[in-house]
Amino acid sequence: MILRNFAVRHGRRAFATQYRNTFLRSLSIETETLLHETEAIAQSIENTTKETHSIEASINQLSIAERFVPPSDAGEEDHEVAANHNLLRTIRKRTHKLGSVPTPEYEPSELIHNPPRPKDITLELLMASQSHMGHSTSVWNPMNQRYIYGIRQGIHIISLEVTAAHLRRAAKVVEGVAYHGGLILFVGTRKGQSACVVKAAKLARGCHLFERWKPGTITNGNEILRKCAIRAVDRLDRDVDGFDEKIQNWTALKPDLVVVLNPLENYLLLHECGLNNIPTIGVIDTNADPTWVTYPIPANDDSLRCVQVIAGVLGRAAEAGQEKRLAAAAKGIVTWEPPKGLGLPVTEEDKVKAEKRRVAAAQREKEAAIEKDKQIKINAARRELYNR
Amino acid sequence: MRGLNLKPARVYQTVSLLLESGSITRAPSWYKTIGSIPPAEILTRTQPVQHRQTTRKSKTRKPSKLFLPQNIEYEEDILRREFYRDHPWELARPRIVLEDDGKDGQRCDWSKLEQPGRQLSGESVVQRQLWLMNVAGMSNSQAYDIARKEFYAVRHEEEVERRVAKEEATWVGAYFGKGALEIGMEVEDKSYEDWRAWATTEVEAIQRRKDAAYTGFGTAHEDDALVDLDAEEDPEAVETEPVKTAVP
Repeated sequence: MILRNFAVRHGRRAFATQYRNTFLRSLSIETETLLHETEAIAQSIENTTKETHSIEASINQLSIAERFVPPSDAGEEDHEVAANHNLLRTIRKRTHKLGSVPTPEYEPSELIHNPPRPKDITLELLMASQSHMGHSTSVWNPMNQRYIYGIRQGIHIISLEVTAAHLRRAAKVVEGVAYHGGLILFVGTRKGQSACVVKAAKLARGCHLFERWKPGTITNGNEILRKCAIRAVDRLDRDVDGFDEKIQNWTALKPDLVVVLNPLENYLLLHECGLNNIPTIGVIDTNADPTWVTYPIPANDDSLRCVQVIAGVLGRAAEAGQEKRLAAAAKGIVTWEPPKGLGLPVTEEDKVKAEKRRVAAAQREKEAAIEKDKQIKINAARRELYNR
Repeated sequence: MRGLNLKPARVYQTVSLLLESGSITRAPSWYKTIGSIPPAEILTRTQPVQHRQTTRKSKTRKPSKLFLPQNIEYEEDILRREFYRDHPWELARPRIVLEDDGKDGQRCDWSKLEQPGRQLSGESVVQRQLWLMNVAGMSNSQAYDIARKEFYAVRHEEEVERRVAKEEATWVGAYFGKGALEIGMEVEDKSYEDWRAWATTEVEAIQRRKDAAYTGFGTAHEDDALVDLDAEEDPEAVETEPVKTAVP
């Protein structure tokens, strides 16, 4: 039992990458030969799975396999565990109000596993996260003059109110895009930003990137993203069958909104987004260029704490947008439109009908050919008659 | 990358034009949202927050200085300057600048010098001094004297604690390594010895070069002229006497 599950899982993972036809077409080699190759690959996959099935059948017949008991949820009732837990609960209930109230301390991991929400944005939070600390006054970009509060100890101080206002605006944008079913990409390529980027993407049900952006991922997506899977989902985010062929021929997806936590290192990504009319949000420091992004958030991009706060807030905003979208979908309101050219799924009925139509067409052709033959013979006979 | 690229800021307008012209038939999923939340104004300069009084003659009213951000100054800055000028070694003490929730300063009560959860430093003295001046109505120097004397008392206590702790530890068998000052002295001594060795070789080299400049007659060291280690030889020298030269 367990062996069979394992084999199928392994098999799927090892051989699941079916190259999409759009990638195949984009190559300059003849597509016919490649299609033959893919068919050959498909054949070899079938053979290997047959082999694994036969191997696992022989293993399952061994005596060891008989003694194996798989884990199950329905276990024996453990009264000791329940009793201990109840005791713990009563103790906690009696004692939780005793003792001193410790001052709220900064817990770094809190920003990752329980990030703040847009309503938690306060000037105190932003200051504690060092978002007001800009760069030295000699390396500033004068375009950012309107975001700067003043100079202190040789660095520019970014106005906390400006940061808060821009962050709230960006949060609204992210929530709206998520509500309308847009794909959001969170990017943070500096060291230490991976955790907050992944968490934000998870909350937003979007994509993340914490390593170097490959140039051409948007402009040459069919080549670079050829191994990435595409899913067709319904209004409640459940997978829909019947689009396999369409998905095979689909072009690589592009994000609908890109959030960049270090725009100074990701100019190419932002340039590609500009070329493809994709709106962007970026954390703009005093030495960064605010024209690179659609919605700048003037803040300190060198402080990991600040970046985690911003990523957390935007992730939470996206999460709220997704929840609203799914709540509306549960009531029957769909807030987005399916992409052009997707159409309806191909069901079993459709396949049967298509088969019938094909058979009928073949039959008709055959009959037409017989009729034609007959007519030729008749004409030949007539001609012979006239000639005599 | 010359010139301004405003494509990111004009994403909505671009897509609107594409829809109008019929290049695309369907608006992307972000269209409505971005349309209802226009991006913030960029590139325009605003008058910066004024942190000092501007008179009729001040340079801030010059057009070239009108949009420059100004230095942020507080009344504590003068007090800080005075304190750290009098106690420069307090600057050597490491400071913790981490804030918990940003409201740490609001939980301080400067009627006392020491605050719970806050490090004692020159900053505490300055805040205490300010409190005494504003709330208790004292003069600058009066408040300073009171605050710094409280500070000295606490620092003295800390020193005594450290000394007693070391004595107690030594009594029960602990032994300590070299202190920071001792290690510093050793490093300085080694550095000095290294320099001394280098200086000696340099002096010898200079001396040799000086002596080489005076080869031949007229010098007190004629023997040195015979054993000339420099490669360049006078042709006259070769004629007069056989010169023993080392392999260059």
